[in-house]
Amino acid sequence: MTESILNLTLSLAQKEGAKEVIVQHSFGPGYQIRFSNAAIDIAKKWDNNTLEVFLAIGQKTTQIDILDPSPTKIREAIPRTMRFLRKMPDSELYAGMEDRVLAYQQLDGLYDKRVEGLYEQAPDLVNGAINAALAAGAKRVAGVLYFGSETVELQTSYGFTGSYKHSYYRSTIRSFVDFESSGQQVVVGRDLTDLEKKLTNAGQKAGKLAAMAVGGRQGKAGTYDLIMSPTVGANVLGEITNSANPLMILMEMSPLKDHFGEQIAPENLQVIDDPHISEGLESKPFDVEGTPTAKTPIIQNGVLVGMIHNTSSAKIMQTESTGNSALLDIGMGSKVLAPETTNMVFSKGEQTFEEIVADSRKPTIYVTSNWYTRFTNMLEGEFSTIPRDAMFLIEKGEIKKPVRKLRLTDNLLRMSKNIIAVGKDQKQIFWWEVYTPTFISTIKVADCRLTAATQ
Amino acid sequence: MTDGQEIADFAIDFATKQGAKYAEARFEETMAEGYTTRNGVMIGGGKKNFAGIGMRVLTKEGMGFCSTAKLDKDEIKKAIKIAVKMARASRRKEPIKFSEEKAVQAKWQTPVEEAFEDIADEDKIQFVQQIDKTLMEQEFGSALVTRTLILDLTRNKKYFTTNEGTKIESEKSLIAFYTFNTAKGVFGTEQRFYGQAGAMGWEWFKKEKILDKIIEDNRALVKTANLAKEASLGVTDVIVSGEVAGIIAHENCGHPSEADRILGREGAQAGESFYIDLLEKGTLGEIQLGSEVVTIIDDPTLPGGAGFYEYDDEGVKARPRFLIKNGRLNELLFNREFAAKFNTQSNAAARAIGYNREPIIRMANTYFAPGKFTLEELFEDVKKGLYMKSFTEWNIDDRRYQSKYVGLEAYIIENGELTEQMVRRPILELTTKGIFGSVDAVSKETEFPYGTCGKSDPAQGAPCWMGGAQLRLRNIRLGGGK
Repeated sequence: MTESILNLTLSLAQKEGAKEVIVQHSFGPGYQIRFSNAAIDIAKKWDNNTLEVFLAIGQKTTQIDILDPSPTKIREAIPRTMRFLRKMPDSELYAGMEDRVLAYQQLDGLYDKRVEGLYEQAPDLVNGAINAALAAGAKRVAGVLYFGSETVELQTSYGFTGSYKHSYYRSTIRSFVDFESSGQQVVVGRDLTDLEKKLTNAGQKAGKLAAMAVGGRQGKAGTYDLIMSPTVGANVLGEITNSANPLMILMEMSPLKDHFGEQIAPENLQVIDDPHISEGLESKPFDVEGTPTAKTPIIQNGVLVGMIHNTSSAKIMQTESTGNSALLDIGMGSKVLAPETTNMVFSKGEQTFEEIVADSRKPTIYVTSNWYTRFTNMLEGEFSTIPRDAMFLIEKGEIKKPVRKLRLTDNLLRMSKNIIAVGKDQKQIFWWEVYTPTFISTIKVADCRLTAATQ
Repeated sequence: MTDGQEIADFAIDFATKQGAKYAEARFEETMAEGYTTRNGVMIGGGKKNFAGIGMRVLTKEGMGFCSTAKLDKDEIKKAIKIAVKMARASRRKEPIKFSEEKAVQAKWQTPVEEAFEDIADEDKIQFVQQIDKTLMEQEFGSALVTRTLILDLTRNKKYFTTNEGTKIESEKSLIAFYTFNTAKGVFGTEQRFYGQAGAMGWEWFKKEKILDKIIEDNRALVKTANLAKEASLGVTDVIVSGEVAGIIAHENCGHPSEADRILGREGAQAGESFYIDLLEKGTLGEIQLGSEVVTIIDDPTLPGGAGFYEYDDEGVKARPRFLIKNGRLNELLFNREFAAKFNTQSNAAARAIGYNREPIIRMANTYFAPGKFTLEELFEDVKKGLYMKSFTEWNIDDRRYQSKYVGLEAYIIENGELTEQMVRRPILELTTKGIFGSVDAVSKETEFPYGTCGKSDPAQGAPCWMGGAQLRLRNIRLGGGK
């Protein structure tokens, strides 16, 4: 059935005059359980089933999504979209797609079949995590558990056909002792082995952090060394590595444009875009053009060395595609074929979290979670973000007391250059505030600016 | 009756038979169209139509939601069975209850003089390109080194039905235009994301003089890059435009007024609300949060408003909500679930941004109510101060108390008059109480800029207006605490 849908779409598009065509069918169930106040608020199931079609004639491009695709819907949509395509002017972003049929390797570990029946036990798993948080000292617990599976099938007008199936889970657990004392943990992956234990551990850790945050007072604004948990580092430093993207550079949404080849981080830091980690939520064997995916170095020995590409951006910048092509939404109605990150992996350091704390002889702030990162100027990397959940003042190598109500107001490249410690506690982060799956450890940055409300 | 309506009616009957004490179905058909240019060259354009159905079921053990684009009775049955099963497995000790609301049969639609679908595709493409060209033809055009323009058009038709007898048909047309531009000037670059939207037809562009607004906004961007200088004003009076007042109304008042946040349902996502502290000690109508001149309204019924609707996504009739009245906390935003928890009626704040999302509490069009002064009269009484006309970066903590707004177009006020001296990136880093308590005068004039409000997980970006009157804030320390 699916194969005939792909074939039908492709042949119809070509018959209507499309010179280059991508047809990608993604389908599978998705589930979510949301909870707050230590009780489940709602359990959801989505029947996801979308056919994405990219069409090009020369540099004219357009695309359409067909939900629950059927031959009838396809026969109506393709001619209509082709009529629209002929009216489009040439796109400066489009210089062609993958025109070779390259062999790709299936990735092991992307799919755990146990996910298909998980919805039956999931409410109990969530209630178990809630109870673990309560036992660790929390008075209230909120969070979310997502899980599901997806089959992706791709066919292009250059003869590529490929498919893969993957599953996923991700959970955020936030515990509260009182309204202002909270702690959060994030658990992400594909392998369901010991999921119950992973969720319970996360519940315990979140509860413990919340208990440690009790009694926090307004922090004093000023310059501090800053220890960022993996959750915070994934958001703040992820803003740098995610913008190693030609589309963002073209739109002046990246601070990296003039810094390739420069030392932007310490020599012991490596960052790669890695689509081949089985537990990575964006791992895949090929991109939307059928180009096999590959590991792409972004930062090597602290030097900004590369960016991700698709065929068009690579041609425009006279290099090779890195297999990062995707159809990206711009507004409600349209998408563009452009590069997109997969999983961003920051190298591990050698210190434990405890050693990083013990080494902190200057006044240091430890931030466990953050949200609402916004920019005054994306080209300059001028931003601020708000610590949320447990935050602590460290003095003379010891966690001294919980603090609250501070804002990190700084510059992205200044911070990356000032990294002074990288932990070995690497974990994958993906949650409400981090949209690129990011493998990252605790990271310490010297001389960061923390501000507070004036009145 | 359409196939979608028939399926929705079937869904609530089937869910009721499966044991749901409450069941709702929302069938939606959406037409979305978008055009994007970078420096005048088209980089993306597309049109899509899609339809699907979302269903919510309530059992005494919990709530379930399912959605599908497969409008087939067997598929609907399968989806509902799983939703009911998962709702029951939730095993809540405290059952979810909904407020009692009158069942309604109604139809509504946004008035449209010229449907965007009736404009030729070629004309829309040329329209976006022409706006870029018009910007470049201005005397400041060459300083706009990078320009991204986006035209977004959506029509959303809904059929909402419940097993309580509600049946509502609606149709909303929304036209939106965004710019993300970078200006290069003698003091470096300045960037601005700017959006306008209206629930109208294509006539919105002319009626609201959108092109003029875009030109003015970009003129200010270039001017700022060329003229704005760092300034240390110490403690000073600050007058903010309707745009800055609007984001304050939205972030510092609208969000903390959401009853689901107050009671913790967004705890792991958009956060909670400092209002809980106030409500533990006082009651609505008595809690003083700001000065007497502060009144903030959220009104889904504002004609043309990006957040316009006549009935919410739980079938409750919309009306203006006076969130803060004369400085006192007056009303919260409720859906049926949280109205029941507060032992009151819903005030129709439930919105879902697509068939595959649950309805949750949202703002619509939030604004500072007008006062009695002209803008010039607000300036008159200021010896030395700042006029913040637009903003760039902003954020606020997840209890909605510690906020920051960085000014873009900002001028010095001296001896009661606005000067041409521009200030580079002034910062208001203030608590909610610090802002509302500092307002001593409010203008007659209002404006209603557009914003997409973010909340929930999965994210639901809801179109909203956020604006209102200009405000005068007394004795503000700028620049963030040190």
